[in-house]
Amino acid sequence: MSFAIVGFGDSHVGSVRDTNEDALIVDAKWGLYAVFDGMGGASAGDVASNKARDVVHEYVRARRSAMQPRPLLEAAINAASAAVHAEAQRRRDRRGMGTTAVVCLVDGRRATIGHVGDSRAYLLRDGRLHRLTNDHTIVAELVARGAINADEADRHAYKNVLSRNLGAKATAIVDVNEIELIAGDRLLLCSDGLYGYASNEAMHQLVGSTDGAGDVVRDLIDAALRGGGGDNVTAILLDAGGKSMPRATVVLRTSGAGAWWARRDRLLIAARHHGIHRSPLCAVLRPDEAIGLVAGNFADAVYHDLEKATSVNVWSFAENLAVGWLGQNGAWMAMRELLDGLARAADQVIGELRSEDRGLAALVESAIARALVTAETAVGGVLAERLKLAEAELVRLESDRSRRQRSEAAASPQRFLDQPTVPFMRAVAPPPEVPAPDVQLLLEAARRRALARPAAATTDRTLYTRAIDHAHQVASASSDGGDAALAARELFDVRALDEAGLAPLYDALDAARLAHVDAVRAVPGAPGGRVAALRRLAAAYQRLSGTIASLIVESVAPTAEQLREAAAQTTRLGERVSKNERRIADLERKFATIIDDELPGGLRYELGIERPGARPRIEPPAGPPRRRPSKETMR
Amino acid sequence: MSDLGERVAVLRDEILDVVEGGREDAPAEAIFEAIVRTLSAGMETALGLDLTLHDAVARRLAWGDTEEAILADADLVFTRLARAAQRALRDPDEEMLVLEAAADVVCSTARILGLAAVSRAGRDRAATLREEMAQRRLKEALSEQDRNLKRLETDVAQSDFQ
Repeated sequence: MSFAIVGFGDSHVGSVRDTNEDALIVDAKWGLYAVFDGMGGASAGDVASNKARDVVHEYVRARRSAMQPRPLLEAAINAASAAVHAEAQRRRDRRGMGTTAVVCLVDGRRATIGHVGDSRAYLLRDGRLHRLTNDHTIVAELVARGAINADEADRHAYKNVLSRNLGAKATAIVDVNEIELIAGDRLLLCSDGLYGYASNEAMHQLVGSTDGAGDVVRDLIDAALRGGGGDNVTAILLDAGGKSMPRATVVLRTSGAGAWWARRDRLLIAARHHGIHRSPLCAVLRPDEAIGLVAGNFADAVYHDLEKATSVNVWSFAENLAVGWLGQNGAWMAMRELLDGLARAADQVIGELRSEDRGLAALVESAIARALVTAETAVGGVLAERLKLAEAELVRLESDRSRRQRSEAAASPQRFLDQPTVPFMRAVAPPPEVPAPDVQLLLEAARRRALARPAAATTDRTLYTRAIDHAHQVASASSDGGDAALAARELFDVRALDEAGLAPLYDALDAARLAHVDAVRAVPGAPGGRVAALRRLAAAYQRLSGTIASLIVESVAPTAEQLREAAAQTTRLGERVSKNERRIADLERKFATIIDDELPGGLRYELGIERPGARPRIEPPAGPPRRRPSKETMR
Repeated sequence: MSDLGERVAVLRDEILDVVEGGREDAPAEAIFEAIVRTLSAGMETALGLDLTLHDAVARRLAWGDTEEAILADADLVFTRLARAAQRALRDPDEEMLVLEAAADVVCSTARILGLAAVSRAGRDRAATLREEMAQRRLKEALSEQDRNLKRLETDVAQSDFQ
């Protein structure tokens, strides 16, 4: 059975700009979907994005059957970059123009996504929205390098400055992802006008709804416009595996929303009946104002959510309410009672609807229940944020206190200082120390006992003995790093780098560790001493295993490097082949032009001029036999 | 969950440092959870057969974390847990159990990572071979194109002359 992909895309100029500099491709025949976001003054942005769109579209159509998706995508985007760059060089008023690109090529279940710039691709799978692309902006790269954190990035002056685009240079570095689609997946391609103005929650809710791709795309654009619409908005949504829309959603979007809206006034009356206006949240409002503001806004939010099959509006309603109330240190209980009051008022309205249409009432009831859960979650989110802030403040206070104590202790070294115990421990390794004499004796006894134990038949006895000796040596040493590294190298020895070569080593290490731990438990001694010995032994085995794994990683590192070099060499050869292809095509065109210019139509066939390459010779149309032309005729 | 597993589980935020870092999905979480699982099962799990740990490590590698980063996480969890257990557990036998479980899990993690690195190297070698084969084919195509180009250039030059 074929794997159906249903795609829909749309673009909007936005609320602020005059021209739409975004461009998109939705071509189900070739499985090609793309979003371009142009930039550059004097209306050059739309020239760049349209040019890139045309080049990518044409390139993919011409070579779709001849090339694999990944190289094809890279080559197509590079060709677009070269074309935009050439156009920018040709005209002074278009200097500096460029465009972003996020291009998806679908082949069966496999989607290959190439991108340059800050247009994004998202994947909805199992209800979670994953971002598939990293923005190529200066700020994103600073965050990746750890130079700034996410909060600083949001406020950074260069947050919209791209580090890569199509058109700045003739070639572009393209990031390519490949994913295997499964039925129910949704892929979203969009420009920054969408994710910059619609909240992540809104996008998640809309893409995760059961609506068809067309409805979702329109709702996404609508969400960005309601968020300000300060940029052009473009979105393409792909449904993998032909997702069908449940009937209930359709009924709710139409009849459900209508029925709810028709009862808006009833809800306000019920809200008054349940005392919404007496809530502490409405203390400064007159009763009518309170009902209109709280119950009225709730009714509107639920209506819009029913109509669009999302929970975005109810989420915003509850979040605004919670931020306002909890921000002025309002009690959570009052918030809780207000939401309960709204729930009871909604119940009353649904009860009236039930007497008219039982089925519709059941649907609306479940939708309202979902809306109320969303509202609770939104309030919970605000509470969590406040809790996080309080915790951060506690951490800061605790750090300040510790710092102050340390500096005071340094100033007066004789003073006794309690070790901080809870709750924020630092990952500082304990200072290296020689084990106490009793612990050293215990370690010796445990080593002898472990060595005396018979190893399992499948374990290499020599390796087992060496592992116990090395672990003992590391556990008894005063410094950890160097001894562990040396011991690990000796244990690793010369070894085949495959599972058969490594398994005996790890088996022996595991057997030695278990025997050693059992031996520590069995040797006579004070419990405290045994714990100290085991602490050192456990750490020794952990360091040995970790160092051996690091050695393996280090040993196999050249293979990855060789692969990278080989792949780069293949790419270079591929580029030379493509370049030659273009050169051959140019020469063929030139040759054809010469023939056409020099000879009158049809005569070249009669003259028997050989055409180059493997093109079949086209016979002239049947007609009366012609004479070979004289020189005068040819002139 | 056993009593000891529960008591170690409450050390989670401290060991993973999620309070200060503010991350809900700490990278080392899978390793810590595996230790808690081992303790909860009363140390009766088969050695190295914690498939959830295998999955978690494989997932992190698939998402692009390096083996070194995961090893560093395991090291961090072990060090912090050893210190936290020393402070939080009064019974020496319990502390020994925790140390044993922690060593078991971090050694398993190291083993998984070592074998994963070897498998990756095998795949890389196979991919390198495929690249070399592709290069051979491309070189053949290049020589064929060179021949065609020469012929075309000659044809065009002759046509210009005519």
